[in-house]
Amino acid sequence: MSGLRMRLRRHDPERSAAEYVSGELPRRAVRWFESHLLDCEDCWREVLLGRIGRTLAEDVREPVPVGLRDRVRATVHLAGGSRRTRDIGSSGEER
Amino acid sequence: MTNDHDAFLRATMGCMDLVYNLSRRLVRGREEAEDLAQDTYLAAFRAWQDHRRPRRVEPWLATICLNLARSRYRARSRRPIEVELEEGATAAGLDDPETAALASLDRAALHAAMWRLSEEQRVAITLVDLAGLSTAEAAKVMDTPRGTVLSRLHRGRRALAELLEDTIQEVER
Repeated sequence: MSGLRMRLRRHDPERSAAEYVSGELPRRAVRWFESHLLDCEDCWREVLLGRIGRTLAEDVREPVPVGLRDRVRATVHLAGGSRRTRDIGSSGEER
Repeated sequence: MTNDHDAFLRATMGCMDLVYNLSRRLVRGREEAEDLAQDTYLAAFRAWQDHRRPRRVEPWLATICLNLARSRYRARSRRPIEVELEEGATAAGLDDPETAALASLDRAALHAAMWRLSEEQRVAITLVDLAGLSTAEAAKVMDTPRGTVLSRLHRGRRALAELLEDTIQEVER
């Protein structure tokens, strides 16, 4: 979206902040929006809260528990094996 | 012959972090989240065996995880909030002026704050901010327009920030 199209669009601080904080505004729209931020209290506040919220959300990331990867591998191998056995068993030969 | 499961695991195991963290925000307990992650991989493998293979693995696994959680775990997850405390875990790595103020908050408080959001907001935040999906990809996963995802995403972020705003103001004073 160009800066011009952004200017013509209805003023929507929430949507603009969401796109800006997510890094999804095209470069030209970013330039326009960043200069707009200097004059618009509403957009400034939404961007500030959006940035804090995003940082917090990223920080809640948890490491994968020890053993889960092995459990998943074992489950998948077992499922692959049981299906193969079923396929061989039902048709008399391997598919 | 290359085993199906080897090819599947090669393609998907790098997404375990995404699947587990999404699971943690869809069901309450840690063990339940591990079960959901495991079930997600199993369901994905069955689809893989049926030659339903995605162009991009991350949104595909996220969709399976979300659908499984909705169909099988929703009733169980309506229990009262129980937050698992991780003593000593802090919100480290916040290096800009506003968010550095939050460094003293522990992870349990953040996790509890996440669970005060609506499910739609929590899922949007997890898919975009944690899993790194674009809002267009998250819209497909959530089967909703992109504009709705942007709105849920922003309101969720804002709610998280506001829940903790008192702390910020105290530090700024």
